[in-house]
Amino acid sequence: MSRRPCAVVGVGQTHHKSRRLDVSFGGLVREAVFRALDDAHMTMADIEAVVLGKAPDLFEGVMKPELYLSDALGAVGKPMFRVHTAGSVGGTTAIVAASHVEVGKHRTVLAVAFEKQSEGNAQFALGSGRGASLGAGGAFAPFIRAYIQRSGAPEHIGWKVAVKDRRNALKNPYAHLQIEDISIEKVKASPMMWEPIRFLESCPSSDGACAVVLTDEAGGLAAAADGRPPAWVLGASSRSEPPSFPGRDPVRPAAAVQCAADVYAQAGITDPRRQIDTAELYVPFSWYEPIWLEAFGLADEGEGWRLVDDGTTELGGTLPINPSGGVLSTNPIGASGLLRFAEAANQVRGAAGEHQVDGAKLAIGMAYGANNQYFSTWAVGSSPDPLR
Amino acid sequence: MTRFVESTITFPYKRSLGPLVGAFMTALTERRILGVRHGDQVLVPPMEWDPATGAELAHDLVEVGPAGTVESWTWVPSPSAQHPLRHAFAFALIRLDGATTPLLHAVDAGSPSSLDVGTRVAPRWRGSRVGRIDDIVCFVPGEAPEVEGEDAGPAEEPVTRMDYLASITYTNPVPPATDRAVAATLERRLVGLGCPHCGRVYAGGRGHCPIDAVELGPDCEVELPQTGTVTNFSIVTPVQYPGQTETEPFVRAFVLLDGTDVVLPYSPVVDLPADQVRVGQRVEAVWAASADEGEQGGMGGAWGALAGWRPTGEPDVDDPDLVNRIF
Repeated sequence: MSRRPCAVVGVGQTHHKSRRLDVSFGGLVREAVFRALDDAHMTMADIEAVVLGKAPDLFEGVMKPELYLSDALGAVGKPMFRVHTAGSVGGTTAIVAASHVEVGKHRTVLAVAFEKQSEGNAQFALGSGRGASLGAGGAFAPFIRAYIQRSGAPEHIGWKVAVKDRRNALKNPYAHLQIEDISIEKVKASPMMWEPIRFLESCPSSDGACAVVLTDEAGGLAAAADGRPPAWVLGASSRSEPPSFPGRDPVRPAAAVQCAADVYAQAGITDPRRQIDTAELYVPFSWYEPIWLEAFGLADEGEGWRLVDDGTTELGGTLPINPSGGVLSTNPIGASGLLRFAEAANQVRGAAGEHQVDGAKLAIGMAYGANNQYFSTWAVGSSPDPLR
Repeated sequence: MTRFVESTITFPYKRSLGPLVGAFMTALTERRILGVRHGDQVLVPPMEWDPATGAELAHDLVEVGPAGTVESWTWVPSPSAQHPLRHAFAFALIRLDGATTPLLHAVDAGSPSSLDVGTRVAPRWRGSRVGRIDDIVCFVPGEAPEVEGEDAGPAEEPVTRMDYLASITYTNPVPPATDRAVAATLERRLVGLGCPHCGRVYAGGRGHCPIDAVELGPDCEVELPQTGTVTNFSIVTPVQYPGQTETEPFVRAFVLLDGTDVVLPYSPVVDLPADQVRVGQRVEAVWAASADEGEQGGMGGAWGALAGWRPTGEPDVDDPDLVNRIF
């Protein structure tokens, strides 16, 4: 299938906090949108269509938020889409927006994702409004226990990821958690929440939003000529699988493996571990870093934890993972996936600031949702063909 | 005949109002109504942005009303519990004096014959105001605002958040496969449905195979054993939220049924403290007398009278790889 080129020319996000009580829903998303438009040297008038993603409506109790927010997003009289793929929704939002450009339907599209967790309660929403909600940690702990057993990884791997991502967050002024004195000792001493997951191995609850401006080849080339390098979308894929069936492996889900293979094939990636310069992976609990390194072919099966152990995934290592601080540092659920995609784009644009990976030319952004069921991934490059 | 069940989800959300709606709500507690200037327009309620273009507006607030003119209306002869008044009333678009956009609110007009386009109305204020749009009980015909009951005065602090108690009632169909599974639990039987194509067996009244996308009818029913082995588990430290039923850490176990490939994920346990659950533990089904959820009942839903799984006391199964049998 032929695709037209698509370029990311603007990225914006809010300052993320537990409670952004200073802003309305509209004010929150607009904070991210105007940063993205400013970054793209555009105004709302340049946007032809808007794609909005967020977690289930129970999180804030606003039904059809895409309609509620249409005027706040400058979308009156324009096509407006809502995307809904559980925790992976932010990533899927970027993919849906990119697809409108790639098929030539719209020249410039705005992707927006947000969550305002302070308006409701995540455990309530994840439990579909019933008692005894497992929460994400309760749902995922068994998967992590299985990963540890099958890989033989030592327990300090989880602590190391927790410390690395929080140290990275200290280089990201937008990140929610800014824990200056984060240390292995501090993580180890934090309360056990969902064995084997400790409190400091878990993501926070955040209010926040992210926005990305995507445009066509002419728009991308114009930005480049103006000294504002775009990120070129090299491949994108969404895959999912049913929640449970005999033989399903949530630690290495078929949907994840296929999602990665699809993106790599589109982008011409044949050796992901060496060709990819950095990745923003959706890691809400520390152990998900080695789990996704393996499922996404960035490490051999059973070896992902070794890349954590030997410092490969640190900022300064040969494959930095989540230089932004990741979901472990910032989790406005619906926006978390788009943040991964946006941060990956900023890396290859050379626009990541203090958490920039030197010379990053090829990056991936990845998000997952529900019981390790929904996967969205894109590969972005500093040029349309960074591997040449 | 398909059976339907009704369920209600309720949650006390808290809205952050932002700078302009916050100011509007604060003013309501002072019995004042604010709009925002936008060129030669005055928008009521005030907005942070131009609703047509999304452009940011200067926060130039101006007082309007309190009286205004009905621009359009519709009669509500039989109010529901969610309507602002208990007796018949009108919803009206009211252009307050000084405003260029109409405000939607209720008008207590007595009968439709006393209301027309152009009718002058004024607010009936609630005596005790908290900073919500229903601090105005409704509008009433005439020029003079009223206060219902004793005036408790304005809010002491600026209003920045609003309580919003959401309540939604759903009516969901119960698939026949679920009904059959629940009926079996009342006979203390656990039944599954086997896919004729792939051979996978599904418990919990799931009437289809997600792999082969085929419906599984009564002919696919198989009897499942009531003993099994814990393959994995979760110990959940409950976070408190409205509707939470747990206060202490609780266990959800993954149970592989004997002689089958069927795992029941995230299953409740009985007589098994959180610090004693382990991979390889032998368990048996525990049945309740009722299929309904609750103290004396089972898990409810498709699991009906199955209350959970209790340790049998048999020696553990010694197989470390069991932990990978999650689904």
